Amino acid sequence: MGDIFSNLGLGFGVVFQFVQWTPAFLGGTSIPIPVNILLCLIGALVGTLVGVLPGIGTIATVAMLLPITFGLPPVGALIMLAGIYYGAQYGGSTTSILVNIPGEAGSVVTALDGFQMAKQGRAGPALAIAAIGSFFAGCVATVLIAILGAPLTKLALAFGPAEYFSLMVLGLIFAVVLAKGSVLKAIAMIVLGLLLSMVGSDIETGASRMAFNIPELADGLGFATLAMGLFGFAEIIRNLDAGGESDRELVQQKVTGLMPTRKDMIDSTPPILRGTVLGSILGILPGGGAVIASFAAYTLEKKVSRTPEKFGRGAIQGVAAPESANNAAAQTSFIPLLTLGIPPNAVMALMVGAMTIHGIVPGPQVMQKQPELVWGMIASMWVGNLMLLIINLPLVGIWVRLLRVPYRLMFPSIVIFCSIGIYSVNNAPTDVILAGVFGLVGYWLIKHDFEPAPLLLGMVLGPLMEENLRRALLISRGDWSVFLTRPLSAVLMAIAAGLLVLTVLPTLRKKRDEVFVESEN
Amino acid sequence: MNATPGQAPVKSIMPKWVRNPQDFVGGIAMMAIAVFALWASSDLQGMRGFSFGAGTAPRMFATLLLGLGAAITVVGVLTEGQHLAKYHWRGPLFVTLSIVSFALTIRSMGMIFSALTSFLIAACGSPETRWVETFIVGVCLTAFCALLFPYALGLPLQLLPTFMIR
Repeated sequence: MGDIFSNLGLGFGVVFQFVQWTPAFLGGTSIPIPVNILLCLIGALVGTLVGVLPGIGTIATVAMLLPITFGLPPVGALIMLAGIYYGAQYGGSTTSILVNIPGEAGSVVTALDGFQMAKQGRAGPALAIAAIGSFFAGCVATVLIAILGAPLTKLALAFGPAEYFSLMVLGLIFAVVLAKGSVLKAIAMIVLGLLLSMVGSDIETGASRMAFNIPELADGLGFATLAMGLFGFAEIIRNLDAGGESDRELVQQKVTGLMPTRKDMIDSTPPILRGTVLGSILGILPGGGAVIASFAAYTLEKKVSRTPEKFGRGAIQGVAAPESANNAAAQTSFIPLLTLGIPPNAVMALMVGAMTIHGIVPGPQVMQKQPELVWGMIASMWVGNLMLLIINLPLVGIWVRLLRVPYRLMFPSIVIFCSIGIYSVNNAPTDVILAGVFGLVGYWLIKHDFEPAPLLLGMVLGPLMEENLRRALLISRGDWSVFLTRPLSAVLMAIAAGLLVLTVLPTLRKKRDEVFVESEN
Repeated sequence: MNATPGQAPVKSIMPKWVRNPQDFVGGIAMMAIAVFALWASSDLQGMRGFSFGAGTAPRMFATLLLGLGAAITVVGVLTEGQHLAKYHWRGPLFVTLSIVSFALTIRSMGMIFSALTSFLIAACGSPETRWVETFIVGVCLTAFCALLFPYALGLPLQLLPTFMIR
């Protein structure tokens, strides 16, 4: 118990760190500046700003804004990125409530009831409940991370290469099970990601692999390049197809009366609680995350409700539960990343990318060697949530105005912004071209119903998996049964196999499809 | 996004026995990528005793992808599914041109020139573009980026064309 407090204390210490700023024009007087809080604030603001833009999801937002954190010190950069992530998510729900165009998959269900509420002139309470629910969920999740962080790290240190490999297999299987659409296609995307991660030089021998003597490929495909291409550019091209303006149905009334009524609060308390619990659990699971959490929370609320017919017609429970769940999941999904070093979903994969760029290899060692980094980030999550609550409600008016920006002006801006961002990573024009190629690949994938998110996950896990596989087999002297004879590894593999079998079973498949279909009718 | 299933397959180029062209083509593409990767990694060393060579893992994953691609293709033949989605050429073409133009000019012409040009090229991607408005926004955005990246974020970006600096 004492550990938790001292750790959180350390974290808040980092977040509230003041840096003395002595500008020349003040003649030697120094002003203390809370740098990390400012970064968190800027991150949350910018994240919301981009996340609000219709058609731009969380992954795209984080990918797009990655470059602006490169110049910062690692702690600051990660705090800012976390802020961007929450901001983007909150922005996504604002868009779903006000325009009925969910910016990201996670807020699809929020749009169902949120938009109906907005149509009835209750956009204010809907947005407020979303913010309050998210904040509550955020608080719970922060505490949960603090509690689980240390013991999981200890567990992780007991892991050998075989266990790590099995855990990653499990994570990828989870990602498949929880993904939308065809299981086969999701697995194919993961394997394609693994294959793409092989490009570049071999870790052990240094041999150049599949690089065709192109110097820019010698170090492998850039992670930021791939992410921005697949999510930034591809999304833009796809949105252009959809025609942009025609189907945007903005709530025209002024958003008035932000505060929810007493009845709203009473009605939404149990959904917020249930959503938080469900979201926290689903977030920790590898492959889980915000999307599945909000779908599941909505389905659960509808099941337990005494008036299920009200759902889809502006029930406040239908906003409260998924919003709390997706925020809780968004945060608890940091747990596997920070303790085990394994990103459970595509956004966390981006976080790994960012960490690697700053020279940090995520994993249990980070928790021990750079505690200020990990705990600072955890504390910043809570601060970030508080900021979202404080800044977003008064700023709703601005976000609404932003929604009126026509797509014809928005998309060239995003193209340029992404291009400059990618170029600035390595000052390499080739990276920009590569991102463009991945943009077209991503467009093709979307057209053929392949989800690009598992690809990103595979791409990040690829080198880790290969390294651990090689090491495990080296230690076992080439004996493949090592994954089944070591107890911990065997358990993980068994769960993975069981899950895969379950997904293929027709009854469970139906259930799984049902959860996702919910949004379409 | 996707072609609605109800649409009549008027000009389907797929033979009749392919019941899910989207998956069929997708699976074949995955197999093609896998074969390409197998070829590209064929010059790498394989297993040495029980330790992996540089080429082992890539070939392993490529083989796996080949199998998965084949499975998707088979599923595409056996199950009913969606027709090939319609591709639009305008958006992808101009966005790609804009990206290429940026990559080619950034080194020699500096950010201000290449960002503005690329902005205008990208804007051709939508039939709704109004030029005066687009131009103003393009100039404002370029100015914003010119302040944000080199000054606020401290990234080393060259703003002006090389010939103007020398």
